[in-house]
Amino acid sequence: MFDALGDPTRREVFELLRAGPRSVGEIAARLPVSRPAVSQHLRVLKDARLVVDERAGTRRIYRVDPSGIDGLRRYVESFWKDALASFKASAERRSSGDD
Amino acid sequence: MTTEIQPVVESVEVGLVVEEAFRLFTEQMHTWWPVARHSIGEGKVETIVFEGRTGGRVYERWDDGAEADWADILEWDPPHRLRLAWHPNESGLSTDVEVSFAASEAGTRVELTHWGWENLGADAVAARESYSGGWKTVLDIFRAAA
Repeated sequence: MFDALGDPTRREVFELLRAGPRSVGEIAARLPVSRPAVSQHLRVLKDARLVVDERAGTRRIYRVDPSGIDGLRRYVESFWKDALASFKASAERRSSGDD
Repeated sequence: MTTEIQPVVESVEVGLVVEEAFRLFTEQMHTWWPVARHSIGEGKVETIVFEGRTGGRVYERWDDGAEADWADILEWDPPHRLRLAWHPNESGLSTDVEVSFAASEAGTRVELTHWGWENLGADAVAARESYSGGWKTVLDIFRAAA
């Protein structure tokens, strides 16, 4: 009922990269999905600026992009700050007898 | 090098007793949540429904009767604590939000902890593709901030 219905494989790809930089082949070797599927997930993660890649010889090595994570964190923090500020404003109206 | 990802923790203190703060936060969420800035349907949102029980849903209801899910309540422990599977996106990827309410000198300290937020980014592209709605995608926000 509370299962995450999203894309668990993409999360696993991301989790693998959090442990260290890897090539597409190294990721595919650890997951029950094909190399093209791994490449597709990496494209999405790259588009979301959570991972970056660079050439190492003939291979492309992917790693987590810390600045992408930081940007995402700042967004999430500001989202909750904003929500809680609205909650507080409403609570203040309530405790002062308005509303 | 493992990238350690800490949960996001935010808190406020409000001048209400714990029971009132809990009730305002939960069943009266529709009276304070900034729907214009943070919702899926934006101008179409008529109300936010908070089903206050374990297994209850939190969702927005639109003026045409449609519903858009935000969360499922995993743990309901009034007036001190609740835990949500937070997934305000159509892909269904869920993250973990816990809200605690503790008596303080000024009234109540409300603390919100969000785990798994880092997974929202991986889902941002899918979310953007699945609805054209008003909830600003994570991707748009932190692109704009760059």
